[in-house]
Amino acid sequence: MLLRNVLRDVNVVLIVILAFTLALIPLTGDRFYIYITSLFMVYSLFALSYNLLFGYAGLLSFGHAMFFATGAYVTALFTLKVFRDPLVGLIIGVMSAIPLALIVGFLSLRHTRVYFAILTLAFGMLIYAVLVKWRSVTGGTDGLVGIPKRGVILDISSPQAYYYFILVFFIIAVLSLYIFIKSRWGLMIRALGANEDRLPFTGHSVLTIRLYTFTASGLIAALSGSLYSILMGVVTPDIAYWTFSAEPLVMTLLGGSTYYMGPVLGAFIFITLTTMLARFAEYWLLLLGLAIIAVVVGFRGGVSGVLVLAVERLMRSVEARGVWRSLGLKT
Amino acid sequence: MYTIGIHPLPKLITGVWYVSLENFLAQSLIGLYKGSFYWLLAVGLTLIFGVTRIINFAHASFFVLGGYLMFTSYTYTGSFVLSLVVSMIVTGLVGVFFEILLIRRIYRVNPIYQLLLTFGIALVVNEFQKIIWGKFPKYVDIPEYMRGGIMIGDVGISYYVLTIIGLGFLILILVHFIINTSLWGLKVRTVWRDNVVAQVLGINPNAVYTSVFFLGTALAGLGGALMVALHPVGPGLGDHLIVYAFIVVVIAGLGNIMGAFIVSILIGVISSLAAWLAPEVDILIVYSIAALVLLLKPEGLFGER
Repeated sequence: MLLRNVLRDVNVVLIVILAFTLALIPLTGDRFYIYITSLFMVYSLFALSYNLLFGYAGLLSFGHAMFFATGAYVTALFTLKVFRDPLVGLIIGVMSAIPLALIVGFLSLRHTRVYFAILTLAFGMLIYAVLVKWRSVTGGTDGLVGIPKRGVILDISSPQAYYYFILVFFIIAVLSLYIFIKSRWGLMIRALGANEDRLPFTGHSVLTIRLYTFTASGLIAALSGSLYSILMGVVTPDIAYWTFSAEPLVMTLLGGSTYYMGPVLGAFIFITLTTMLARFAEYWLLLLGLAIIAVVVGFRGGVSGVLVLAVERLMRSVEARGVWRSLGLKT
Repeated sequence: MYTIGIHPLPKLITGVWYVSLENFLAQSLIGLYKGSFYWLLAVGLTLIFGVTRIINFAHASFFVLGGYLMFTSYTYTGSFVLSLVVSMIVTGLVGVFFEILLIRRIYRVNPIYQLLLTFGIALVVNEFQKIIWGKFPKYVDIPEYMRGGIMIGDVGISYYVLTIIGLGFLILILVHFIINTSLWGLKVRTVWRDNVVAQVLGINPNAVYTSVFFLGTALAGLGGALMVALHPVGPGLGDHLIVYAFIVVVIAGLGNIMGAFIVSILIGVISSLAAWLAPEVDILIVYSIAALVLLLKPEGLFGER
């Protein structure tokens, strides 16, 4: 019975379908597709972590790149200077987000809305400034080069091996984030996003809930950053600049912030557009700007919202014609 | 050289750096100039927020647009002052275009969506600048009658820089008087205090919002047009400047015009002195000040209006 309930959940079905599709991609053997899909998974995680803040908790952050960059830089530094292994580096990189999220979260989450947005912007730029200025450790604007894929414990130097490495973490993260959102905590986060004045009436601390959400979000963002640094083999401070924080925001908005899988769809659209349009035109940011304007003014649900609307309309017209009943599928 | 008649401190050679009164004064003057830069950048932003409650993410893009327009119109007309006026008015009109077309729809929604919409506008404005003026930085020359300057110690400061400092003060006084003494300013204050009462009195709030948007973006355009003689404008500059504009406006308290002026000057002087005494940490200082102020006094140093 439980399994049937789980399978009735459209998001679980989508995650399973996505996982199988992604698992089949390397069989094409095309290095370009493998690379682009790896990048898609990394960006999806980044956008999903962002949507936990934006779509569920109602917090607009312009400094989310600080977690991505911290994950990437800590992984890079650890594998280059301490212990040469991607898996250990990844774990250390992800863990590094916890203290950062707790400190930044504790300091900035007391303020909401616009002040939170600008405070995260200031903290994000502080991290950027440190990465640029602390030359001896971070390599300044040149960044760090030669992050290894072949380590002491794990060797993932072939594109396929690394692809599956990312895929495993992708599925773990997507599922655990979904369980988190479906849990009691997730319910409180959504309640907080819906009405922050009334939640304290239930006896819960707003700051604690926000802090947990912020940390969970930072963990996933750091995971995507760590995966990114190993994928690229190079990290530069650009990934800490505030415009990089705007990318998951754009993906989330495009895909639809009110749906769990919206950011994944957004990341897919984003990656497809950037790889396709970058060859034809260098002004694709113009399209992104217009897309954001269209989403804010017209379709708050993003592309997912439009799709859901279309499917609902289709279902209704199918139902009106009595197709289900004639097939005996619906009583 | 004792240029301005103040007896210098004995030049201390401490092994780390040497500080003289002349250098200190010169750096402070450069700081004043930097502060005027921030002020010109932030005045329109804080004015627009004060009245319409919109945080305009596209503000720095309008500032940069003013610089580009200055470049084009100075190239064609050859008159510096005329070009300033032209770029100011055209930037204001572009701002009004976006206000009427888009921003007017979102005065009553969640501030998060207002920030997002203006972020979209910023991307669009930035990209149009790239399409029209290309990828390479553009600048204009300082007009000939302002090429000279004064020497303080071994630092030269041009008359143009001094003019900008003066214009910063002038704009503060003008904005203050327009808001506080003119009939239009009275309307603006009425709408700001109580939108419904203003409508009862026969004031059209949309017209007031549009005119405030015109003034705010025109001031951004003027600032950009003045600055393009000293700092070339190019792609990505708007992204860089909006952070400073936000920091100034938020530290001062959103919508507080006098506060924005004081904070601009303070940040300018502090960051200039910091860049002189400890060049490694100069960009860290501005962000650290911003984070510190927001933590201790989230409503800003001078309070929100």
